[in-house]
Amino acid sequence: MKQKRDVQQGTLALMVLRTLDVLGSLHGYGIARRIEQISGDLLAVNQGTLYPVLLRLEQEGAIASQWGPSENNRRARFYQLTRSGRKLLDTEMRDWEQSAAIVARFFHVKAEDLA
Amino acid sequence: MRAFRRLLARIRNLATRRRGDARLREEIEQHLALQTEENLRAGLPPTEARRQAVLKLGAAAAIREQYHAEEGLPFLELLLQDVLYALRRLSKSPGFAAVVVLTLALGIGANAAIFSVVHAVLLRPLAYDHPNRLVFVGEDRPAAQITGDGFSYPSFLELRQRHDVFSAVSGLAGHALTLTGRGEPADTSTIAVTPGFFSVFAIKPLLGRALNDDDGQQGASPVVVLSEVLWRSRFGSDPSIIGTPIALDQRAFTIVGVMPASLRTPFFDQAEQVWIPLLQDPLFSHWIARPPQTHWMPVIARLEPGVPPHRMQAELGAFSAGLARESTAEQGWTAKAQPLQQVLVGDLRPPLLLLLCAVALVLTIACANIANLLLTQATSRSKEIAVRIALGASHGRIARQLLTENALLGLFGGVAGIILAWRSVPALVLLLPADLPQLRSIHVDAAVFGFSLALSLLSSLAFSLAPMLYAARSDPQSSLRAGGGAGETRGSRRARNLLAAGEIALAAVLLAGSGLLLRSFARLLSVGPGFAINHVVKAEISLPRFQYAKPAQWAAFAADLMTRVQAQPGMRDAAIAAPLPILDTAVTLPFSIVGNPPPAQGNTDIANYISASPEYFGVMGISLVRGRLFSTDDSLSTPLVAVISEALASHYFPHQDPIGRHMMFGFPPDGNVSREIVGVVSDVHDVSLAKSPGALMYVPFAQAPFWGGEVVVRSGLGTAAVAGAIRTETHAIDKNLPVTDIEAFPAALSASLAWPRFRTLLLGGFGGIALLLAALGIYGVVSFSVSRRAREIGVRMTMGASPSNVRRLVLAESARLALLGLAIGIPAALALARLFAALLFGIAPDDPLTFAAVALLLLSVTLAAAYLPARHAARTDPMKALRSE
Repeated sequence: MKQKRDVQQGTLALMVLRTLDVLGSLHGYGIARRIEQISGDLLAVNQGTLYPVLLRLEQEGAIASQWGPSENNRRARFYQLTRSGRKLLDTEMRDWEQSAAIVARFFHVKAEDLA
Repeated sequence: MRAFRRLLARIRNLATRRRGDARLREEIEQHLALQTEENLRAGLPPTEARRQAVLKLGAAAAIREQYHAEEGLPFLELLLQDVLYALRRLSKSPGFAAVVVLTLALGIGANAAIFSVVHAVLLRPLAYDHPNRLVFVGEDRPAAQITGDGFSYPSFLELRQRHDVFSAVSGLAGHALTLTGRGEPADTSTIAVTPGFFSVFAIKPLLGRALNDDDGQQGASPVVVLSEVLWRSRFGSDPSIIGTPIALDQRAFTIVGVMPASLRTPFFDQAEQVWIPLLQDPLFSHWIARPPQTHWMPVIARLEPGVPPHRMQAELGAFSAGLARESTAEQGWTAKAQPLQQVLVGDLRPPLLLLLCAVALVLTIACANIANLLLTQATSRSKEIAVRIALGASHGRIARQLLTENALLGLFGGVAGIILAWRSVPALVLLLPADLPQLRSIHVDAAVFGFSLALSLLSSLAFSLAPMLYAARSDPQSSLRAGGGAGETRGSRRARNLLAAGEIALAAVLLAGSGLLLRSFARLLSVGPGFAINHVVKAEISLPRFQYAKPAQWAAFAADLMTRVQAQPGMRDAAIAAPLPILDTAVTLPFSIVGNPPPAQGNTDIANYISASPEYFGVMGISLVRGRLFSTDDSLSTPLVAVISEALASHYFPHQDPIGRHMMFGFPPDGNVSREIVGVVSDVHDVSLAKSPGALMYVPFAQAPFWGGEVVVRSGLGTAAVAGAIRTETHAIDKNLPVTDIEAFPAALSASLAWPRFRTLLLGGFGGIALLLAALGIYGVVSFSVSRRAREIGVRMTMGASPSNVRRLVLAESARLALLGLAIGIPAALALARLFAALLFGIAPDDPLTFAAVALLLLSVTLAAAYLPARHAARTDPMKALRSE
């Protein structure tokens, strides 16, 4: 059980980083909306799991936050990628693409290829 | 690295958890607000907009919980929570906590104290360099059941030459020589060694040098090495001492070195001592010429690194076989090496292990007691636990919390026990026999501390088991449904009864053990030594053998001293002898009877030897059976005579009259001298009170003098006056003679019983504690059961049961417990007693009287402990009992 959640969280963290990378400064709700938009149904339920990830990323120094006005003039916390966050994103993306490529190759392999 | 950073963050979060949680709450609130607005814009009605937002977000509380668990250290937090809760609970029932902690402190403290002795004596390695390589080499003669005898000097030289498994080999022999030259003449422990001695211990001198091979050659000039303690106490730590002479037995020795205090000679443990080459010793230098069949010199050696024990034994076997080929005298003997520590500890292992077993039993009883207390508590707590389970606590969580509480109790008890041990170990050391090896190093150290702490945690685990099993099995529904008073299940009652019976069983084992020891100690005390000891005082005088070199001088000195002492008022009954039975090491010599066929090859008859002046038998109350005693006429110029003990006469002269027969024996160099048997005297215990009287050969002191001896005086004057007179008269002859080891005979004999007394006292104490704990346990079980059964008793009484019926009911129940306990305990005690039979004297390990007494004692103590609750039950007011609930 725990294993599965970790993988999901890792994926979620990567999505958060990438979203902030593309769109710059965003508040939590905004991030949730974007991820929902991009990922379809993946985050439709249980959007709340996003926040522990945000807190942890900030604690690790990958993102930074500050207060700012939201669209409807409420006070909201805006998140932003830091330099080490960008580095983290780069390595994570490379790792991810590599693993994905390897797994993809396994998916496409046929018995005669290995003969 | 990353994992480490996460751990740091988790620890930080432990302190700042509030902030993280507040942030999360805030963000979630924010999110919900934005989502609700969005939903409103999409046209949902306000309540539905909010509901959809919440649904989409997911379970906010669970998310926060999970975040908390991941980011903090839940284990630590729960522990802290449990500890605080446990502390609160304990402070609410201080009486209960105090009883548990005290019981445990008693058990752990006793264990820690005994373990500190066991650790120092049996476990801690000897304080030498690589002590595991040190071995004691002895010669065994399996046919005669002789083990660990010493070497003769020629055999030792062979061993030193032939072996290649030892890096160093040395012989050693010790006695006291008189040190003069600086200050008062003093008897100084002198170890005569071969030059390899200091290499065996791989020790470097503090000052100067160790002995070298040249010092061990014939004709070398006499040299001496001082111990650091002697150097400091007698020579004022003089750094320029090397090269100066001291006198040992009035002969000059040049000081060549000082050895650090860390070198304690095995077997000769005095702190102040000197080492001299064996060839320079006034006594032992004459013994090196003794033939191979005299096994007198202990040998120690250091094993080469990496030599396995079986190779060493094989080499020694080959060595013995070689010796046997060359000399018939060595046939039947084999050299054997044993670890030095094992030899030093000797026969101390069984009594110490016995004490350790006993003290472990005490702790087990203490744990059973506490478990019982906890069970009664758990019964009254069952409601609390049921509520918690009903509210969603898992069984594991509850068990964990109970365990934390008990571990806390165990820890408190353990710490109190360690303090107890730390305070009581010095007293224990005073009680221990003074000749115990490592006596001075017994204290509560880190090892004892760790042992006790581990023991206390183990104990808390042990006494938690029953209550935890009970809690795990309890069914919250029935507990909640039952009224306040009930809730005791049959299982828990059976558990408590079993624990109480177990306590009785363990107490039976301990009491039987202490009873057996007590009875054998009483037997030992009632043993007559075979001589009269009241009003007898003894004092040792030793003559410097360089100044008093000839036996004739020794005889003249003894005669002179006896005349002078006997001339003193009240000191008519004085004698000189060596060695004294029991108090001195026996001198065992081979003998043969003239006219008897020689014994089979390799068999020699041996008996203990005492050289005594004529008055000796009178002073010691040894009676003449036949023939005559020695007289003042027996001297070096008259025919040699001997007196033998009844044991020798009956064994070697069965149905014959020994008077007038001749025996060949004597102290070297007079080994083969023929003496006429002139008398037979009554037996005495010559080795110890616990050993039956052996064969004894007496010779007149004038015909076989020693360099000094033991003066024994029977006088009503008192020890101090007698000692003063002996000293004055001795110094009137020679003011440089030390008079030592002055003791009244009863006290000296009692000191020889130090070990049996120690273990009897200790085991008796443990037995007493066990009895007390078991009585408390019974009392607790019965009174709890009575209070739980108040209603049942009320019903019985309304149905016509009389108070005495009720009392009988309760007493019968506890008697059943006692009988169950005895049925387990007595057979166990019988089996255990057989293991320790060697420690008993004069009674069988299944002594029926002891076991009957133990059974009776436990039964009556059980009934006594149950009597109070039984009386209480008999006074139950049935109406009140029925109405309560």
